[in-house]
Amino acid sequence: MKSTWFEVARPQKIDLNDWSQHFRLVRDEQIKEFNYYHNPEWGIYLSPPATFMVYGARELKRLKFDNSLASLRMWGFVFNESERLFRAKQMGKRVIATMGDLGTVPVIIMAFPNCIPFYPECIWWTPFFKESTVLLDTATELGIPEAACFSKATLAAFHKKAYFPKPDLIFASTGASCDDYSCIMQLVNDLGYEMLWLEIPFRRHNDEQYPDRFEEYLISEYERVWNKMVELTVINDKTGLIPSIKKANRLRSLAERIKQLTYEAPITPLPALELMTIEFGNLYGYADLDEWLDIVEMINETVAKRVEKGIGVLKQNAIPIAWITPSADPLLLNLVEDCGLRIVGTEYVINQALVPIEENVEPFRALARSFMKASLIGSTQERIKRIIEGVKNERIKGVLVTNMLGCSHCAMETRLIEKMLSKVPVLSIDVPVPFGITEQLRTRIAAFAETLR
Amino acid sequence: MELIGYTCSYTPVELLAATGFKPYRLLHGNVGFITLGEKSVRVDACPLVKSNLGYIMANQKKFAAVVGSTGCDMARRMFDVLKELTNIPVYLFNNPRTDKPTIFYDEIDWLAGELECLSNKKINSEILGTEIDRWENARNRYRRLDQKRASNPSLISTADFHRAVMNYHKGEIGSAININENQSDKPRIYLLGSSIPYEANQILELLELDLAIVGDFNCGISRFLNINIKEKSLNGIKVAYYNQPPCIFKRPNQPFYEFIGTQIKELECKGIIAWTLDYCDSYEFELKRIGRIFELPVLRIRSDLSFQNLSQLKTRIGAFAEMLA
Amino acid sequence: MTEILNPRERFGLLVIDEKPDRCNIIPLITSHAATVAGIKLKEYYTDGEAMAKAQITAIEEYEHDAISIFSEVGIIAEAMGSEFNYPDDDLPVLRIPALTKFDIDKLKIPDPNKDSRLPVYLEAIEYAYSAVGDKIPILAYVPAPFTTGMMLSDPNQFLLDTIRNPEQIKKIIEISLEAAIEFSYEIINAGGLPILVDPLASGSVISPKAYQEFALPGEQGLIKFLHRYDFDVILHICGDTTPILDLLLLTGADLISLDKVELNLAIERLAPKMRIIGNFNTTKLGFGSPDGIASQVREMVKHGIKAEKGYIASTGCEVPIRAPTGNVKVFISAAKEAGWFLD
Repeated sequence: MKSTWFEVARPQKIDLNDWSQHFRLVRDEQIKEFNYYHNPEWGIYLSPPATFMVYGARELKRLKFDNSLASLRMWGFVFNESERLFRAKQMGKRVIATMGDLGTVPVIIMAFPNCIPFYPECIWWTPFFKESTVLLDTATELGIPEAACFSKATLAAFHKKAYFPKPDLIFASTGASCDDYSCIMQLVNDLGYEMLWLEIPFRRHNDEQYPDRFEEYLISEYERVWNKMVELTVINDKTGLIPSIKKANRLRSLAERIKQLTYEAPITPLPALELMTIEFGNLYGYADLDEWLDIVEMINETVAKRVEKGIGVLKQNAIPIAWITPSADPLLLNLVEDCGLRIVGTEYVINQALVPIEENVEPFRALARSFMKASLIGSTQERIKRIIEGVKNERIKGVLVTNMLGCSHCAMETRLIEKMLSKVPVLSIDVPVPFGITEQLRTRIAAFAETLR
Repeated sequence: MELIGYTCSYTPVELLAATGFKPYRLLHGNVGFITLGEKSVRVDACPLVKSNLGYIMANQKKFAAVVGSTGCDMARRMFDVLKELTNIPVYLFNNPRTDKPTIFYDEIDWLAGELECLSNKKINSEILGTEIDRWENARNRYRRLDQKRASNPSLISTADFHRAVMNYHKGEIGSAININENQSDKPRIYLLGSSIPYEANQILELLELDLAIVGDFNCGISRFLNINIKEKSLNGIKVAYYNQPPCIFKRPNQPFYEFIGTQIKELECKGIIAWTLDYCDSYEFELKRIGRIFELPVLRIRSDLSFQNLSQLKTRIGAFAEMLA
Repeated sequence: MTEILNPRERFGLLVIDEKPDRCNIIPLITSHAATVAGIKLKEYYTDGEAMAKAQITAIEEYEHDAISIFSEVGIIAEAMGSEFNYPDDDLPVLRIPALTKFDIDKLKIPDPNKDSRLPVYLEAIEYAYSAVGDKIPILAYVPAPFTTGMMLSDPNQFLLDTIRNPEQIKKIIEISLEAAIEFSYEIINAGGLPILVDPLASGSVISPKAYQEFALPGEQGLIKFLHRYDFDVILHICGDTTPILDLLLLTGADLISLDKVELNLAIERLAPKMRIIGNFNTTKLGFGSPDGIASQVREMVKHGIKAEKGYIASTGCEVPIRAPTGNVKVFISAAKEAGWFLD
């Protein structure tokens, strides 16, 4: 299972060239051991970052990665997703786009055999990994204003049909979600893609006390999802929801454990970039949940061992901060750690995909309840309450907020967040366009770290 | 405290008025208020939202409450800011976003309950009936004016009409409405897009130097005329507000386009003015479609409400009018 | 029709067995790029930035679908000790093969970052990748071990030794394979996709038996190395490969670039397992009439796009250095015209 190098290597962040060197030590059998959809013929994915860089992911030349075999496996799997989705269609699987709800509808989809849910909006990282404005420019040509959130890349991807296959179904959630994305979904609709629109309510109260009827609305929406899926697959077996929920919970608890281990360890055992990738994996398992679960198990083991040995990837004196709103540019996570900071709390607006789903109530109700925890459907105050707790007990020494120009909730929330977190230094930065990180921005982050020190 | 502020065309004014407070539509677009608003939100927020926020902050004592909807993200999140920075009670309801009336109907029930608590007053069918009559009468008066605006040739200008409807939006519906007729043979156009704020009347005046705006789908002007309450009850309110021509944000939004298409045809419009505010996703994302679907010349006017580019705009409008003529 | 995809996206779909908007069009525009850019050939093959800029100029001029970093097949051999003349306006010419100067045991695996002109190639790849790598694939041609072996030796002697001293030849090829792997490794880190070229393993040069015994293992070794990365590997062999069509299936290559082979025959024999690249006669490109080129290219593409696993419209060999640019444009526009998959 493990090659010698991986057993002896000290945990550290390494670059693409280092990975290429270490990859030469990976045995052929090991490469063949991991494959998606249990398909060894075309399903291998244990490739070094160089593979994906050659295929156009230019930022990989500048990123630093964790050096464990588990992380190598994770990156190979994550970067392989586009191919995997096309292969899924070629294998006769149904590919279902679930847009806007971030974490719940896929659990329903996965109750149907051979159905693969995915989130087209996750394409928003692609312009940054590629250091390319191709998708953003295409979106502008298709009518999206220039000053719109980077998730507009999704529309371009639908238009080009080169980043994921044409979905067999699209479920689009609107309502108390993100405006920009609701508009994008409407334009996708206008490209000729049919979609079932789902309405998600604004929670209004906190995530414990909201009107019961909201749960009922969601349940009725999930029934509509179910019926549409039954229409597509001609399968109507709701018992499939139970293992699907269990699997989602297994993933959620693993991800939570990895986060807690990482946050609490004296020396950070896993970099923030890998940790963010794991968090977002909760949404749909990067289009192969079984394999993703296996990968996350492996990362969990790696992290646990590192914690046990008291070793990690950052210096012990790294300063703990929280991160609010995910960065579209992965390089920022590297930069923050390079400046001597470590991430010990996040609010990536996907809370609904992180919380456990109840297993002792009717499945749709359980899913509705988990969705009602969503950050996006509540108030800013609710959204950052966990970060405030971290600040109160002095676990969090500072907060970094990333904004996207044209992102409606960023525009309205950031000043408020700064005010609400006034007890610690808060650095609010705008994520620049792809390949746009400047020395000035690096200096701001470094100065922020210096302030905290 | 005499006002209940509100931000969205799905907010039933009759219900707000039933509390005894005056419904006051937040439609401010003034640089001073924007600057005030920018103390609490980023500059890349919608100027109308920033301005409204600034207005409320500067006039907190006037407001008994502010009611909003989930209509657009920024307007919705303004309530988080108000909650944090003021003591004004805020109420935010889910407005219709797909074709399911249930959520909206239940939300109006909830809002009625909250407003009863706020005003400490039972909102019964008698009170509601009175308010429905009062507001329906007002709308009828404005409808008659709107017919003059829509007639061919148009008999009143939209700039004048806008000045008149400000009273409705500000809850002043008792007084008489007088608009001098002023026949226009200029090219007939339709106006749609982001709300025209109170302070943006000058834009309408500028447009009508060369054009005749004979109809609009605009929350700041005549959209309220689509509310037609047939049953004098809370249920009647719900049905009327739910069934108004849909917001561009309702998904899917084909019915919105169908409604506008019919209007443009009936009003014999030769062109469209698409007025958008900076960062107004609902219209900015749709501009290309608007041009394509209606197959009419579209003049796009984007504004940050600073009105610094009026002379440039005047030239563009003139060129557009020339093209239509 | 409007092109929806850029070359990177188009190539990406091809290698996962999906149909793009139209077929990829990648004529082997290598040193011809120097002509398009108006620079001396010597500058092209001795200055990485000049090579990259010439390639970018060519792709801007022709709007084909990949950049081809290449000048000639002796580059690895040169870095291992063979000596070449550098004419001002022609490609390098083998002057003294390494193995005529020293013994096989003294052959060293070159360092691609230091030795001879290998750094020129790496610089060209880096430059092109930074400049246009998000939109255009950067293909970097790597001489396969058999071809390098021959460039390390006196070519005639090398061929004779395949009969007289086969073990010696195999040893040369083994070392050449190692050198090719090291070069490929650095090409990958620079951002290039290694493409195997084995022109001297052509059916016009060696027999199928010799191909199987000497050339094939070297190709297989390099392809195996590249498959570890999960790359889809292109193998190009010049000349007539009709006699070795079945053997080509054994290489493991995912895309086969053919020269003087009847395209329909190649499709019939290879297309179920490999994607087909080819194979317009470059002599026609150099000397044919635009009308003739257009109709023949259309005909070729019409057949090519029937290849079930995919097809790249290309030339059978390198576009002649001084081919009229007008003819190349005709080739590309005719291929674009005939190569649509979308309705």
